[in-house]
Amino acid sequence: MSTPRPVAIRVTDLKKSYGALTVLDDVSLEVREGEVTAIIGPSGAGKSTLLRSINLLEEPDSGEIEVLGSVVRAADRIGPKSLNELRRKVGMVFQSFNLFPHLTVLRNVTLAQELVLGRDKKQADDRARELLKRVGLEDKADQYPSRCSGGQQQRIAIARALALDPRAMLFDEPTSALDPELANEVLLVMRKLADEGMTMVVVTHEMRFAREVSETVVVMADGRIIEQGKPSQVFTEPTHERTRKFLSVVLDR
Amino acid sequence: MDALTTILNGVPATLGLTLAALALGAALGVPLVVLRRSGNRLVAGFARLFIELLRGIPPIVWLFIIYFGVGTTVKLSSWTAATVGLGLISAAYMAEIYRGGLNAMHAGQWDAAHALGLSRTAIITRVIGPQLVRVSIPASASFAIGLLKDSSVAYTIGIPEITSAAREVSQNSVDAMVPFLLAAGVYVAITIPCAWAARRLDTVLRSRVAR
Amino acid sequence: MFWDDWTTYAPDLLQGLGVSAQLIGIALAIGLPLGLVLAMFANSRTAIVRSSIVVLVEIGRGVPALVMLQILYFGLPSSGITLDALIAGGLALGLTTAAYSSEIIRGGLQAVPFGEIEAAQAMAMSRAHILRYIVVPQGLRICLPPLLGFCIAMFQATSLAYTISVPELLGSAYSIGSSTFRYLSILVLAGLFYAAITVPASLLVNSMESRLGKHQR
Repeated sequence: MSTPRPVAIRVTDLKKSYGALTVLDDVSLEVREGEVTAIIGPSGAGKSTLLRSINLLEEPDSGEIEVLGSVVRAADRIGPKSLNELRRKVGMVFQSFNLFPHLTVLRNVTLAQELVLGRDKKQADDRARELLKRVGLEDKADQYPSRCSGGQQQRIAIARALALDPRAMLFDEPTSALDPELANEVLLVMRKLADEGMTMVVVTHEMRFAREVSETVVVMADGRIIEQGKPSQVFTEPTHERTRKFLSVVLDR
Repeated sequence: MDALTTILNGVPATLGLTLAALALGAALGVPLVVLRRSGNRLVAGFARLFIELLRGIPPIVWLFIIYFGVGTTVKLSSWTAATVGLGLISAAYMAEIYRGGLNAMHAGQWDAAHALGLSRTAIITRVIGPQLVRVSIPASASFAIGLLKDSSVAYTIGIPEITSAAREVSQNSVDAMVPFLLAAGVYVAITIPCAWAARRLDTVLRSRVAR
Repeated sequence: MFWDDWTTYAPDLLQGLGVSAQLIGIALAIGLPLGLVLAMFANSRTAIVRSSIVVLVEIGRGVPALVMLQILYFGLPSSGITLDALIAGGLALGLTTAAYSSEIIRGGLQAVPFGEIEAAQAMAMSRAHILRYIVVPQGLRICLPPLLGFCIAMFQATSLAYTISVPELLGSAYSIGSSTFRYLSILVLAGLFYAAITVPASLLVNSMESRLGKHQR
């Protein structure tokens, strides 16, 4: 085995509570560059909260977040400049796609390029069309998102995130809102992305994807990481009783 | 402070007029909405025209039409004119509120009631009626607060309410501004707690109704 | 009998209507932009700004437009400022418009799905950019029907300017009535003029509302 790849994302001792409810209970995680990490577990385990803490859409009560060189301490007041510096490095794809319905597909992909990266219209348009082609939707460029199926919208959302040339990508249950056929289109794009060496953290219920595509599987329950390791190990010989219970329910479907 | 007392003397008239008009409107709104929903296109059309005119013509114009217009031939007191005018306008708005409530009510309610063999009267009084009342309360409360503010126009036909008191004091004092600011304060002091109470009522009612 | 009065005095009433149009024009020109500004700052991160706006809006909505008119026309001279009736009328209605429209616009801005704002944040877009490109364009579209409905109600409110001697539609009708004693016919005609504008306008807004509703798929 070659020397381990550098750590791309590291969260340390993250804690988050809403009143009496503890959502993240001292969670620490390391994600290496070029690897795919899948986060699985029962609902309410804190998976999405953990993912969203990485780019600070959720602000943990305490702990440290390090993303590709940008370090943020949750207890400190985080200024907009350092926040955006961090967010520029990592892209995010949401369960509900969150495309901008009043803009065309192309404009969805070019808007942030122009505003955040300062690219001019031609540069942004070219990159957008290139990415739409990569996800197989170049002919949808001038249409509005409402005319696209869920699977198409999610692929556009992936293109939109990639347009900013992030060095890592976060996926928050990207296929949970899609029926199996449409989910497959999206999973294919994600696999391709993984093969190309993108650092990915994926919260998902798609166990096949987790088993076949990820290098590390993280199992969460009750706000804690209860199991972590290679898919071959976690899925066939989990050490924790809770993991066993969860997998037996989930894998039998 | 004398100014404030005079202005506060206008409050009973404001409240009285608002409540009278509201009561008249809530009552008249019922037959009006029935006509509006009639199967007979002519009847429904006339009801609709009636409602649109009442809502489309400014309240002060209606008061003038009744007090100065009709009032040249028929002897009308300020109170009669004001109550009838604002009452009819309220009836139009209440009819639309009721209509909205009836439309939003699941058609299933009628079907279930019929299937249970309830008589038409029973359905209206026991099933549809109570629900309509509850559904209409938020919009009616909001309307009532607006009506209280609109009642200020009644001073133009001689009702001694808050605004007329303020004008009187203002004309007779050196500082013309303060009486009006006091009047404004009185309106705000009445309407803001009412608006807050209406919002609370809405939340309470919502939580008590199963969805 | 009505008809003779109507044909004789319609031109005068139309002149009054022209003044009503000026009033609503001034009111909207002042009130709507002001309302937009209030709506955008209503969600400011600075508590003082937020509270001040809440207070201003609650007062603006709690004070009847009629009283606002009296304050600006009869009250201000005590402070040394005497305004022309038309200006006072337009300004008073403008302030009321600002207060009400800020709530309507704020509702529209808040109706924009939060997920879209998160997606924009995840892409490192600035607050200003998010407001300008994502929230305001969609928010305004959403709040347009209630906003237009409010403008129609404001047009009706121009009749209140009669109380501060603005020669608008109601004022013209009343003065003709008081010199001819043909109150009923003239006032009814004035009422019909109001209705001829407000009723079709309301129907248009209603159909716009149902058309917009279909778009939000």
